[in-house]
Amino acid sequence: MLTIKNLKSRVEEKEILQGINLNVKPGEVHAIMGPNGSGKSTLASVLAGREEYEVTGGEVLFNGEDMLAMSPEDRARKGLFLAFQYPVEIQGVTNANFLKTAVNEVRKSKGLAPLDSKDFLVIMKEKMKLVEMDKAMTQRSVNEGFSGGEKKRNEVFQMAMLEPTLAVLDETDSGLDIDALRIVANGVNALRSKERSFIVITHYQRLLDYIVPDFVHVLYKGKIVKSGTKELALELEEKGYDWIKDEVDGVKA
Amino acid sequence: MWRDTFPYLEVNNRTATVEHEATTSKVGEDQIFYCNQRGISTEDAVGLIVNGYCKEVFNQLPMEFAVEAQKLLAISLEGSVG
Repeated sequence: MLTIKNLKSRVEEKEILQGINLNVKPGEVHAIMGPNGSGKSTLASVLAGREEYEVTGGEVLFNGEDMLAMSPEDRARKGLFLAFQYPVEIQGVTNANFLKTAVNEVRKSKGLAPLDSKDFLVIMKEKMKLVEMDKAMTQRSVNEGFSGGEKKRNEVFQMAMLEPTLAVLDETDSGLDIDALRIVANGVNALRSKERSFIVITHYQRLLDYIVPDFVHVLYKGKIVKSGTKELALELEEKGYDWIKDEVDGVKA
Repeated sequence: MWRDTFPYLEVNNRTATVEHEATTSKVGEDQIFYCNQRGISTEDAVGLIVNGYCKEVFNQLPMEFAVEAQKLLAISLEGSVG
C-alpha cells in the first residue's frame, strides 16, 4: 500500500525529516506519536504534497507508484486522504457543493460518470450518520464558523464521502472534548476495512483508546526511533517521551 | 498566483473604498491546497473559491446584475491560472 524509504524533507532551510522508513499494508492502522516538533505534521504534509516542504531524499511508493512525482490532486484521486489538523474555511462554498465537486473529480479520474444531485444526496445522507452530522451542516460554507469539533467531524465526513484507500489523520484529536472525540473515533472505526489503511498522527495516547492501532511508532528529531504495538502507546502515556529522548541522545536518565 | 497582474483601479466615486486583490492578499494558497487534497485541480479550485467569495457579494445585487456578474466571472476565470 505505502512504502516510505529514507524520506528526508526540509522547510525553508531547516531539515525536519531525516530519514523516515515506514511500510503500511492494506487494512493496517499505524499510529505515529512523538513530542512537539518531532516532524509528525511535516510527514503528513509531505505525503499530501504540500509545496513548501521540499523533499531532499528518499522515496514514497503508493500502490507501487512513485507518489512524490504526483501532484497533490492526483495523490487524492488515487486514494490518499489527509484529515487536516487545521481544516480550511472556504467562504460562500457550501459543504455539499464542495464535496460534490471533489467526489465527481475522483470519479472522473477513475473513468466513472459523475453522480447526479439525487444520487449524491442519498450517499451524503447515509455518510452523515457516521459522524452524527445534521443537514444544516452540509448547507453551511466549508468549515466557516464551525467549532473545533465540527471541523474535525467534517474532515471525517469528507473521508467517508471520498472513500480513500489510505487516510492520514493529522492530530484529529487536538481540540476535541471527550464527546466529539468519541464521535470522530466512531466515524473512523466505521471506515476501517481490510482494504483501507490509516496513519494516525497524535500527541496523546487518549485517541488510541478509541482508534486501536496495529502498530505504534515514535518520531523524534525527524526519525522513527521506536516501533511497537499499542502497548508502546500506553508506556509513553505513563512515562512520557523523556526516556526515549535519553535513549536516542545517549544520555543517562 | 496572479503575480503578473498590474493593479489599476479607476474610481469615479469620491466616497468609495476600493482595494485590488493582488495588492492586499493572495488567493488563499491554503484553500487551494485544501481543494487539491480533495482531488480538485488548481484551476477548478480557484473557480470555486472566487465564485464562493463573489456569491456573497452578488447576493446583495439586484437579480439582473447578479446573473450578469456570474456569467462575466465564469468567462474571466477561464485560463487565468498559469
